[in-house]
Amino acid sequence: MGKDIREDIAWAQINNDVLKSLENPRKLYWVILFAAMLVFSVGVGCEIYQYNVGLGAANMDNPHMWGLYIATFIFWIGMSHSGTLLSAILHLMHADWRKPIYRFAEAMTTFSLMTAGLFVMVHLGRLWQFYYAVPYPSERWTWPNFQSPLLWDAMAIFTYLSSSVIFLYIGSIPDFAIARDNIHPGWRKKLYSILALGWEGTDRQWRNFRVTYLTVACFLIPLAVSVHSIVASDFAMSQQPGWHVTSFPPYFVAGALYSGCAAIITLFIILRYVFKFEEYMTLPILKKTVRLTFAIAMVWTYLNCIEFTATWYSHDQVAKDVLIQKATGPYAPFFWGMIFCGSVVPFAMMVKKWQTSIPVMFAVSLLLNVGMWLERWMIVAPTYSHGYYPWTWDHNQWPSLIQWGIVFGSFGWFTLLFMVFCKIVPSVSMYEVKEMVYHRSLAKKKEELGLEGGH
Amino acid sequence: MSVSNLLQNWSTFRHEHPINDKPHAEIKWAMTIDLDTCIGCNACSVACYAENNLPVVGKEKYAHGQSMHWIRIERYWGETEVKEEYDPNSNFDMVQQDFQADQGAQFLPMLCQQCEAAPCETVCPVGATNHTEDGLNSQIYNRCIGSRYCSANCPFKVRYFNWWNYPEQENAWPEPLPLQLNPDLTVRTKGVMEKCTFCKQRTYTARNNARSEGRPVHDGDVQTACQQSCPTNAISFGNLVDPEARVAKQWEQQQVDLAKEKQEKDEKADNKLRGYRILEELRPYPSIMYLERVRESAV
Amino acid sequence: MIENGFDETTSHSAKPQSEGQAAGYNRRDFLKTLGWGGTAVALSGCGNTSIENGKETVVSYVEPTDYQIPSIGVYYNSTCAQCDAGCNIMGRVREGRVLKLEGNPNSPVNRGKLCGLGQAGVQAHYNPDRVRQPLLKGEAITWDKALGLIAEKLNGVKGEEVAFLTGTMSGHVRALLGNYMDALGSKNHFVYEAVSPAVERAANKKMYGVSMPRYRIDKAKVVLSFGADFLGAWISPVNFSQQYAQFRKGSRPEGRGVLVQIEPKMSLTGANADRWIAARPGTEGMLALALINALGTAGLSIPTDVTAVVKDYTPERVSLDTGVSFEQINRLAKLLKERSPSLILAGGAAEGYAHGTQNAMAIALLNHVLGNVGKTVEAAAGVPFPQIAPIPGSRSALTALGNGLASGKYKVVFTYGANPVYSAPAVSKFSENFSKAGFKVAFAQYLDETALAADLVLPLDSAMEEWATEVPEYMAAPEGNVGYAQLSVRQPLMGRLYPDTRGAGDILLALLKQRKADEYKGFEDFYAYLQSAIMKNKAALGGADCADDKFWNDTLGSAILPLKGVAGSISAKPAIAGFALPAPVTADASYPLRLIPSISHSMRDGRNANEPWLQESPDPMTTIVWDSWVEIHPKTAAQLGIREGDIVEVTSKSGSIKSQAYLFPGIHPDAVSVPMGYGHQAMGRYAKGVGANVFAMLDPVYDKETGELAYHETSVKISKTGERIIIVKEEGPARGSQVGRKKIAVKVSADKVDLSKEV
Repeated sequence: MGKDIREDIAWAQINNDVLKSLENPRKLYWVILFAAMLVFSVGVGCEIYQYNVGLGAANMDNPHMWGLYIATFIFWIGMSHSGTLLSAILHLMHADWRKPIYRFAEAMTTFSLMTAGLFVMVHLGRLWQFYYAVPYPSERWTWPNFQSPLLWDAMAIFTYLSSSVIFLYIGSIPDFAIARDNIHPGWRKKLYSILALGWEGTDRQWRNFRVTYLTVACFLIPLAVSVHSIVASDFAMSQQPGWHVTSFPPYFVAGALYSGCAAIITLFIILRYVFKFEEYMTLPILKKTVRLTFAIAMVWTYLNCIEFTATWYSHDQVAKDVLIQKATGPYAPFFWGMIFCGSVVPFAMMVKKWQTSIPVMFAVSLLLNVGMWLERWMIVAPTYSHGYYPWTWDHNQWPSLIQWGIVFGSFGWFTLLFMVFCKIVPSVSMYEVKEMVYHRSLAKKKEELGLEGGH
Repeated sequence: MSVSNLLQNWSTFRHEHPINDKPHAEIKWAMTIDLDTCIGCNACSVACYAENNLPVVGKEKYAHGQSMHWIRIERYWGETEVKEEYDPNSNFDMVQQDFQADQGAQFLPMLCQQCEAAPCETVCPVGATNHTEDGLNSQIYNRCIGSRYCSANCPFKVRYFNWWNYPEQENAWPEPLPLQLNPDLTVRTKGVMEKCTFCKQRTYTARNNARSEGRPVHDGDVQTACQQSCPTNAISFGNLVDPEARVAKQWEQQQVDLAKEKQEKDEKADNKLRGYRILEELRPYPSIMYLERVRESAV
Repeated sequence: MIENGFDETTSHSAKPQSEGQAAGYNRRDFLKTLGWGGTAVALSGCGNTSIENGKETVVSYVEPTDYQIPSIGVYYNSTCAQCDAGCNIMGRVREGRVLKLEGNPNSPVNRGKLCGLGQAGVQAHYNPDRVRQPLLKGEAITWDKALGLIAEKLNGVKGEEVAFLTGTMSGHVRALLGNYMDALGSKNHFVYEAVSPAVERAANKKMYGVSMPRYRIDKAKVVLSFGADFLGAWISPVNFSQQYAQFRKGSRPEGRGVLVQIEPKMSLTGANADRWIAARPGTEGMLALALINALGTAGLSIPTDVTAVVKDYTPERVSLDTGVSFEQINRLAKLLKERSPSLILAGGAAEGYAHGTQNAMAIALLNHVLGNVGKTVEAAAGVPFPQIAPIPGSRSALTALGNGLASGKYKVVFTYGANPVYSAPAVSKFSENFSKAGFKVAFAQYLDETALAADLVLPLDSAMEEWATEVPEYMAAPEGNVGYAQLSVRQPLMGRLYPDTRGAGDILLALLKQRKADEYKGFEDFYAYLQSAIMKNKAALGGADCADDKFWNDTLGSAILPLKGVAGSISAKPAIAGFALPAPVTADASYPLRLIPSISHSMRDGRNANEPWLQESPDPMTTIVWDSWVEIHPKTAAQLGIREGDIVEVTSKSGSIKSQAYLFPGIHPDAVSVPMGYGHQAMGRYAKGVGANVFAMLDPVYDKETGELAYHETSVKISKTGERIIIVKEEGPARGSQVGRKKIAVKVSADKVDLSKEV
């Protein structure tokens, strides 16, 4: 295996390379940004229409009360998990290879959470009253219903989002200082001055920074696990066949990490090209990420099997019917598509040659995410189509173009946010890469001296 | 608005219906529907449209499953012939040929079952659907934000969502049809959930009238719109707590206990009673008892 | 009567409209503004902001009038006009608006109940598509001009050159119309109902001596109905439904009744039967005679003259002809013998044939043999005033009118309460003949097909606005009061929505004034006429000891005037020479299927098709909404390769329609069924273009004895058009309904349940 990073990159070179990404990316950057804006505006148009005429525009019905919005909501929530995995969990585990890629992963967390939050709004029948779900003090003593998993959900997402933003920000402070010191004068310099909070790189500052960063990382990990467990509770706590499954929380968390890792691979490849980060986002790092993803894919597949077998042997005929219907009914192409994308495609990651092949991994990561999106849809829709009350079965419901348009638009929104972020905030952590280079060179030196214990 | 206030407040409205809970002191509204006399004529459904300001949605929206009938009449065929290994997916060509019509069809009016432990109530994020002290699931339109979780969790799928701004739809109330609207309740706008209320406007008027006369509500003081119109008196409605009420007598006679998810009589081999509740085993404790349809086998 | 007060105190009547005007303001405007205010209240929930519009017209609640209590609903009694059953209703009125119709609990007809069709009466009243002004060839004109025009057109026209087509009529409007026809010197009053029990009346007259006896379903242990959809659309369905509820009670002395329905297409009644039998269409009479034979074999003593008449119809032979098994016939006979009294009914499905009257008579004979006549078939009383007695409508009346129109002998034709341009078969060329009439005047609430074909359209009041009286043809009676008859009053439940509509009575009065000004000048309007006509007969109406004011107020309060009926007498079995019951027709190879135009319980003959509640309430059997359909037996459909939702063309010798196929197990495999009442080309936004009109394709075959159109004598072929749609219905496309029913809609065999102790 090659080196995660060259040990002979000068620190100034690192600063230079990364800060360049704030100045002159490849043309493709602008293409992506423009495309993202277009896609997003489609979504906005659809939402404006839906807001004005009502949710009927989405072609949902009784019994199909929830549609793609909730499925996509779970998808985006899931996407957010890998950022935390890379930045917090791997940080605690001292996995050095995460360093060049955790920053954008963390940004991905934040933006996908924001996208997910949008879907909660888009899904509401009366968007303009969304604040009723917030436990604000009220003269009339009207509280939200603390029994409702949806409320837990809203709180968990909000907590997770705010913590993620703080974590992202704290981790970026030294880099803001670097940017402040190196960028030519202008509004951005002012912005970085403010954001850098007077960072001077003194020992005391570094000490405090380390402690704070570690604390927030520790705080974030349980949050990350809980937020998707709670999303799972939306379903598992209900009484519906196909939803009322004990293994849903771990299943959701595994699915979340899975889709998140797949998204990291996709963005890794894009950023590497667009911002010319070949030096930092190296193929060995890609390989490690791919292997991690493969491991999670297998966990997810295992949990899937658990869910199916548990239903199959549960003597819960209705839940069993839902499963059969899912696998053989009108949803069958999507169900088997999900199995294919989620459980078969990852085996491509076992092929050594492909692990570092950019085009193959790009395609694979996209397919994985398609599979994961289908998984969320296959959780939500089939239960509605084939629930407890046979009279209301409806296998024919199909989301309207408005619904598809908003789902489509959300990808534009996410990409837009992400791309703008990368242009403003250094998307590779400069100080951590320096650390990494330092560690590498230290290890190399030790190797050269024939000492033991290098890493 | 301190935390202790919040906790206090919380404990007062948290209930575990119908077990471990204080019994309904004065009133528990309940219903009985006799499927042997129900003829499936839809009079109840039309009465509900008239009483509760239900919008007519028109063909296109009906096709999309967006109809708003709080009470729907379901039609079932004879029961001997659906194959065990039915194919749940063939949408059109299902084993229809095996449907048996020799003993007629069966009709079942399905409306909100006003469950005591209602799956819809616990999941509403804003508490828009609540248990009232007279045993109903209320729906507060003004509080509803339209998350539709209640309907997702309803086993009977009897909650109806305002997918469109129905008052403005061309089919619903073109002039001068709005003059027919019942001013005792609102017309719902887009984005809120609605459902059968057991004609709350009528029960409350009856309770107010009784209160102003200083007496309890008697059986017959109030009829729901569906009950009032039913040409065969298949629906009876009243106070389950009042031993004189017809509903209470029926429930007692049929040995159906509100607070049980499995009735003792059903375990007995010589059970000759026909009261049952739909999906009782899911423990929502529905407030509507159905009486099985009876068919003479001698002919 | 206060809100929700189901106490039976009488309510006060709505005041006549003239009084409000005398008080210095226009009551109608007042009602409308208050009504509007109520709407604003209704719309105020959930952020609808339209409250502000028109606030200047809202009248404050602190200025109440003596007949309105703001926010309190008051019930006024009246009479339903949605079908001919004549149910007594009460309308809930609040702030001058009628909101909802309920059954009048004091009525022996409907006993406090009201069907969906009746309740939709408010939508006929508030219908957005009502005619609001007199229209001359589509142009709005004034009443003076309209009435002047009629006078002008009638000038010099002989009595026999005028024809008046109406639906079933009774009460004082009928009396006034009679007077008008007399004044014109015309005898051409045609009373037409597209769907009527005319064949049955004729058969009953022959077999029982009365045309409309009272049926006691509630007293019968067994009801054997040959196609009488008494729970759906037959004669007086709400009354029969109430009786049926009694009939099904296990706790009544007779025990739970058993219902057997014999008909080729399952009606609502068939759906509720313990046994539904699809005999081959047209063989119902034969089956009845075979049952008499089987009863004889089972040991029932049959009079010898009957034995002679029925001896050819052995169960063995009839079993082959009808397709009903020999065992089934014997089982039925056994049941009828063991459980007495029973009740045998004959309805439309047995009567719509060229031998329809014969069928009905054969079925009635079964009642005689079983000794039911006098027990479950009673004589009903008639009204003591023949001039207000109902003139029952029939289909043959239209044939007569059509012949006259074809010969071009009518110069002026009036229509009221009938839509023959829509409901006449295409082959009869009615609309073409109608255009031959010199001047056509339609009294109309909607611009329906007939009104569109007329020269002059006179806008009618709705049934919530007009004054009228009505005598139901089927005279129900309170328990134990056999000689009961009644006159029902229809009174305005609110002011007119549109100033330029008139009640039929008002129009007739105005027309009469043109002819006999002196005689009628004392009556300012129809209300005055009605009041004086009733007050004149106060003593005969049971008000001899009552002050005038009180009597009148009581009359309007209850809206039911009990009359001392003219006792009818039901006759013993008549001598019968024999029956002419043809063997079932062998299928014509080119038209192999029998068409059964079905009468839906809410759509009927289509006159109420523009009421959206009716369009949106699913047909009980198919659960289809907003369209017509073709019911096909699944076996037949499989042979023809037809699947649900296929658009099929149904073709008879006389026409064809296209509609969606619905696979329906409750139909004879040799028949297809299409509902009546759909396929309007006019009438309004809810009716127009919805479904297909089955009337148009009927073959011109008539009942030999009465001349009624034989509705079930049309043979058809059916072919796929290649188009296919998803049917819009309540049932849902997944048909999951049939899977979960074991847990959800539970059925139990009668011997496994103890009904005797039920509450």
